[in-house]
Amino acid sequence: MIQESKSLQISVVIPVCERYSEATGLYAEYAEGLNALGRSYELIFVLDGPRPKFVTGLEQLIREGREFTIIKLSRSFGESTALMAGFERAAGEIIMTLPAYHQVDGRDIGKLVEALDSVDLATGRRWPRVGGRFEFLRRSAFHGLTAWVTGQQYSDLGCRARALRRRVLGELSLYGDQHYFLAVLADRQGFRVKEVDLRQSPKDRFDGRYRSREYAHRVLDIFTIFFLVRFTKKPLRFFGMIGVSTFGVGALLLTYLVIDRLVFRNPLADRPALLLSSLLVVLGLQVFALGLLGELIIFTHARGIKDYQVDEVISYPDLDAEPLAQLHEVVNEAR
Amino acid sequence: MPDRPKVSVVVPFFNEEESIRPMHAAIVAALTPLNIPFEMVFVDDGSKDATVPIGRELAREDSRVRLVKFRRNYGQTAAMAGGIEQARGEVIVTMDGDLQNDPADIKLFLDKLDEGFDIVVGWRHNRQDKLISRKIPSMIANRLIGKVTGVPIKDNGCSLKAYRASLIKQIPLYSEMHRFIPAMASIAGPRIAEIKVRHHARQFGKSKYGLSRVYKVLLDLMVIKTVTTFTARPLLWFTLLSFPLLFVGTLILAYTMYLVLFTHTPLSLPIAGSGLIFLFSALILFSSGAFGELVYRVGDMREHEFAKLTQKVQFSPGIHR
Repeated sequence: MIQESKSLQISVVIPVCERYSEATGLYAEYAEGLNALGRSYELIFVLDGPRPKFVTGLEQLIREGREFTIIKLSRSFGESTALMAGFERAAGEIIMTLPAYHQVDGRDIGKLVEALDSVDLATGRRWPRVGGRFEFLRRSAFHGLTAWVTGQQYSDLGCRARALRRRVLGELSLYGDQHYFLAVLADRQGFRVKEVDLRQSPKDRFDGRYRSREYAHRVLDIFTIFFLVRFTKKPLRFFGMIGVSTFGVGALLLTYLVIDRLVFRNPLADRPALLLSSLLVVLGLQVFALGLLGELIIFTHARGIKDYQVDEVISYPDLDAEPLAQLHEVVNEAR
Repeated sequence: MPDRPKVSVVVPFFNEEESIRPMHAAIVAALTPLNIPFEMVFVDDGSKDATVPIGRELAREDSRVRLVKFRRNYGQTAAMAGGIEQARGEVIVTMDGDLQNDPADIKLFLDKLDEGFDIVVGWRHNRQDKLISRKIPSMIANRLIGKVTGVPIKDNGCSLKAYRASLIKQIPLYSEMHRFIPAMASIAGPRIAEIKVRHHARQFGKSKYGLSRVYKVLLDLMVIKTVTTFTARPLLWFTLLSFPLLFVGTLILAYTMYLVLFTHTPLSLPIAGSGLIFLFSALILFSSGAFGELVYRVGDMREHEFAKLTQKVQFSPGIHR
């Protein structure tokens, strides 16, 4: 089933994190979908910490003569790190990520690869979607907030089934919970991204309830993405905005108090508002100073930061209109 | 490959399909009589119109043209930086892609560089733009930029500039710094000359700027001041910034002490509290400065490397090398 890596076309990375299904059933389903494509592929399971039940299934598959790669992480690092570990091993021209549980119908995953003819990254969207009204609301709130903050509209960032071209990988560095926003980050790098409808697996049912901590995490994630996407290269724009407005409010209040004292002779000594205004002024200055520090960090590392991505350099005759993307790949391989 | 070009003309284009051909013709017409090898680096900043196909045709017709195609729109600074990175000449000339600069002026720039200057900037002395929305704000901005950065240039907004490649390739360009390249370059202490250039009214397309950038320019100015003057001494800079706080805090506390000790009025919590807040805040700013020193240490910007870019070494006649 697995051919020589020279002609390897698709690498499938499956991070096995907290939520996973039984390995043999999952394997059978994905293999069916992948075989239907008629392209060579490899499977990479990344075990994010010990997942004994899943390993049992994998061992059985090995006894049956199935071939795949298993990467075992010593402890649970989280899905982003597991994905990165898998990406590093992936040798195919196309990289797929698939969930370690039944989320989408395995027969549909080929659609993602086919979509790559016109885009750089195809991300799945479970459609039609089952789920209660509350879950629908929660989802729309999350995606609405993401769209508002990043300016990109997605409807199923939670779907783990994605396909991407190799060149996207070179410019992605995922950490924390950023795997949710893989499509957003790729779009920011100037890659073309498309959502592809996949049938939802009938077994895709989340039984547990989301705890309030999870909600807090998601909102903070969005904030992180907001900061990464909009302000990483101009921290003073962000901190300056907050700092100047805080300072402004404080200064206005302070001016009012001083005028009140000087003109209307109202004593300052027993006015807590004086404390508040001084605090605001000082806080504004501190936040502004943080922004300046951020700028200092950017500047002192400016050589390593590139603000733009070159698609290709067109020139005749010496470079022969070779797309730069391919040149990049050669360079990356040489590394 | 032909000879290494001596001059690289870097022109960013963003949706300028009508301008790119006339621009090419004008540059060729201006530089051919000078008889020096040159190249044109056209940067397509994610145009949605026919800029790229036309640029591709131009590159095919004229081997001196290279078109750097960005994956999407990244803004003018990035376009300039991308072009400068790709340029191979010893001298890099940058100009706008909207035909408002006149390539015929390039000769003057090259002459100035030959005189020993490192950067030559253009001054649109008969600027063809709206007075209220463009010229007056830009005049104020230029005065301010000159005062703050100590690089008194009359027209920072003029894109027509010429640089020694060895220098400009080392100057960090990011965010929206293209307006401040000479100020940014001042970390290397270059010799800067300013010459008058012609400026034409816009023929095609529409202007891509408005009045709304005042706030951004002010913040950028703060950044430039910080990074050019004080990168190597952040502690000093933040300590300077903390002086007003220190002053106000000390004054308030001294006043409170005076009231309590000499007039026997009871201690006022709000007043004493504000004094302490100001004082502590000065301390935190001071710590930020110390933190800045740490940042500088782990960064890769070194003042002595910038000094090397423009230094001239002179040997006395008797020295044996």
